[in-house]
Amino acid sequence: MELTDADLLARVLVDGDQHAFGELVRRHQSPVRGLLRQLTRTDVELADDLAQETFIRAYKNVRSFRGEAKFSTWLYRIAYNVFRDQARKRKELVGIDESQWQAEADPKTADPGLRQDLMSALNSLPLTERSAIVLCCQNGLSHDEAARVLEIPLGTVKTNVLRGREKLKKILAAWGAVG
Amino acid sequence: MNEVPQTQDWLDARLREEAPYIDDAGFTGRVMKQLPRRRSLRTQRAIIILTATILSVVIAYFASGEGWFVREALVRAATLPPLVVFAFVLGCGLLLIVGGLWAALTRIRDPIA
Repeated sequence: MELTDADLLARVLVDGDQHAFGELVRRHQSPVRGLLRQLTRTDVELADDLAQETFIRAYKNVRSFRGEAKFSTWLYRIAYNVFRDQARKRKELVGIDESQWQAEADPKTADPGLRQDLMSALNSLPLTERSAIVLCCQNGLSHDEAARVLEIPLGTVKTNVLRGREKLKKILAAWGAVG
Repeated sequence: MNEVPQTQDWLDARLREEAPYIDDAGFTGRVMKQLPRRRSLRTQRAIIILTATILSVVIAYFASGEGWFVREALVRAATLPPLVVFAFVLGCGLLLIVGGLWAALTRIRDPIA
């Protein structure tokens, strides 16, 4: 019988069992890395570095997990914080700030002949809408859970999801990539 | 230009479909190597039990007049016939073997490792 996330967490907390934590990493690595790839606009190397930092931070702070939310939601929240911290550091070091992550790419100028698919369309959305869409529509989080992850009001999440969806539809229709 | 389907379900379904499963490809191993070493609670528990045992033995030694009963027992054991001493040692050895075997056979294998 496969152990649940709660069983594995109990082993980490009670016995300091690193094998149990390894199993949690193996289970959740794909969605966490996927979220970070979307946030970093498919910068795979950077996203994987941030994902590693996410799991290390989760291990160090595992005692602060109270079980009020799902473990995956807690991980997404750490991942988002790691991403934001990194964006702030980048601003200090090389002048790339969050506003550039936030910026909305112009779908007409973005790789016209290359990958005009849904993922490219998603990458052209601003960070606020992109992160809300990825969490709610792709990873199945409720609006309330996404609001906790992104630390923004529930209404803002709903608006961002709605706006993001509309923009995606328009972009895909413009590319003729619908259907 | 193509028509955009009206349902949100279509877009959500496409988003879920196009989110590929990312193969681990050594990612978990890299994370595990970077985890800080932590003394497990099991080790801490063992240290506490050992310390408490040693402390209890020392207290018992002094509380019992520096272990007079141990000396008494040794004196009595020295006067025992060799056959009884041999039977006692054999009994202790067998008990240890049975205990060791039982511990080895009943040890639950870690299903994660």
